[in-house]
Amino acid sequence: MVGFVRQRLPLKAVAEAGMLIALATVLSLIKVFTLPQGGSVTAASMVPILLFAVRWGPGPGVLAGAAYGLVQLWVEPFILHPAQVVLDYPLAFGLLGLSGLFPARPALGVMTAMAGRFLSHWLSGVIFFAAYAGDQHPMLYSAIYNGSYLLPELAVSAILVALIARALRPKVVRVA
Amino acid sequence: MLRDITIGQYLARDTAVHRLDPRTKIMSTMLFMLLLFLVRQLAGYVFLGVFTAAIVVLAGIPPRMLLRSIRSLAFILALTFLLQLFMTRGEPLFRLGPLVATREGLNMGTFMICRLTLLVVMTSLLTLTTSPIALTDGLEHLLRPFRRLGVPAHELAMMMTIALRFIPTLLEEADKIMKAQMARGADFRSGNLLRRARSLIPLLVPLFVSAFRRADELALAMEARCYRGGEGRTRMKQLAFAARDGIALTTVAVMFLGVLFLRGRP
Repeated sequence: MVGFVRQRLPLKAVAEAGMLIALATVLSLIKVFTLPQGGSVTAASMVPILLFAVRWGPGPGVLAGAAYGLVQLWVEPFILHPAQVVLDYPLAFGLLGLSGLFPARPALGVMTAMAGRFLSHWLSGVIFFAAYAGDQHPMLYSAIYNGSYLLPELAVSAILVALIARALRPKVVRVA
Repeated sequence: MLRDITIGQYLARDTAVHRLDPRTKIMSTMLFMLLLFLVRQLAGYVFLGVFTAAIVVLAGIPPRMLLRSIRSLAFILALTFLLQLFMTRGEPLFRLGPLVATREGLNMGTFMICRLTLLVVMTSLLTLTTSPIALTDGLEHLLRPFRRLGVPAHELAMMMTIALRFIPTLLEEADKIMKAQMARGADFRSGNLLRRARSLIPLLVPLFVSAFRRADELALAMEARCYRGGEGRTRMKQLAFAARDGIALTTVAVMFLGVLFLRGRP
C-alpha cells in the first residue's frame, strides 16, 4: 500500500488523479438543481475522488482531493474569509480522500469521507457566520445553510458511488 | 449545452500586472486578504478600495467582469448587511415590525460589505490576470519548502496541471455522450432527485471508463518521454523574480505594516 504520501506516488496514480479531477470538475458543472444562496446539487462530482481514494488508499486520496479542491477554487471561487477558503476548498475536498481508509469496507470509507467534507464546510460556515452575522447561533445557521444543499448532494453521491462501482467492478479493484 | 460553458476567467493581456511572477501575485493576494480583516476604520477601506481600483485600471480589466463576480455574492452580501443592521445593539434608527435597525448595525453592515466586495474583487483579479498553469506553477514553488514535512508539492501541481489540461477534453466528451444517450431516449431533466441521479448512470459509466483509459495512455506517454517525477526536472519556462515583483511585494508589505501600526491607535 502506498502510505501516507511518504513514498513517491506511482506515475499511474498521478495521471489517474489528474484525469479524475478533470472528470469531477466536468461533473460539478452539470447541476441537478441549484439553490438561490449559492449551493447546488451536482451530478455526483465527488464520486471520482471517492473512487480514486478507494483504489489508491487514503494518502494519495487526500492529495487528489486537495488538488481537486484547489481546481474548484479556480473554477467557482467563493471567498469570504481566509480560513473559510482553506476549509471549504483544499480541506473539505481533501477529506473526501478518507474513503480509502477502510480497504475491506468501502461503504464505511465513503461515509467517513462524506462526514469529513460536511464537517469541514460546517466549520467554515461557523467561522463565516461568527465573523459576519454577529454571535447569533453560528453553529445552527451553518448547519442549516450547509445541510440544505450538502445533504441531498451526499445522498445522491452515495447512491451513485455504489451503482458506478458495481458497473466498473473489474476496473475499480484496489490498486495499492 | 455543456460546450458553451467557459470555465475560469483568465483574461490574457500584456500589462504589468499580468507580467508579475505568479508567486508574487499569490503572496500579495494572501497578504491583502489578511489586511482586509485587520482594518478597523472606514478610511482604511477607502484607501484599500482606491488601491484595488488602481490595480484594476493597471491590469486593463473591464469593470463589468468584476461586477459579475460580485453579483454571484449578492445573496451573501444582502444577508450579511441585514443581519448586521438588525442584530447589532445600539442607537435605534427605525423599526420594521419586531426588528430594530441601529446606527451601529448600519456601520457594521457597511464595513462587512466593503470587506466582502474588496475580497471578491482582489481574488478575482488574481485569476483574471494569471493563467491557471502559471498559478499551479507558482503554487508548486511556494509549497516547495514544505516538502520536507512530506507535502508532495510536485505531485499536487502535476495532478492539477493534468486536470486543467483535460477539463475541456472531458467536457466535450460528456457533451457528446449526453447527446448520444438523449438520442436513444435518455431523460436527464425530469423526475425527482433519486430518479434524476439514477438517470445519470448511462452518462457516468462511459465517462469513467474513458477517463481510466486516458489516464493509462497518458502515464505511458509520459514514461516514454522519461518523466521521473519532480526531482531534477528541467523546465522550458523558469519562474524568475524581476524588479517589478520587488516593487509589488514591498508595496503590499508597507501597506500591511501601516495598517498594523494604525490599528494600535484609536
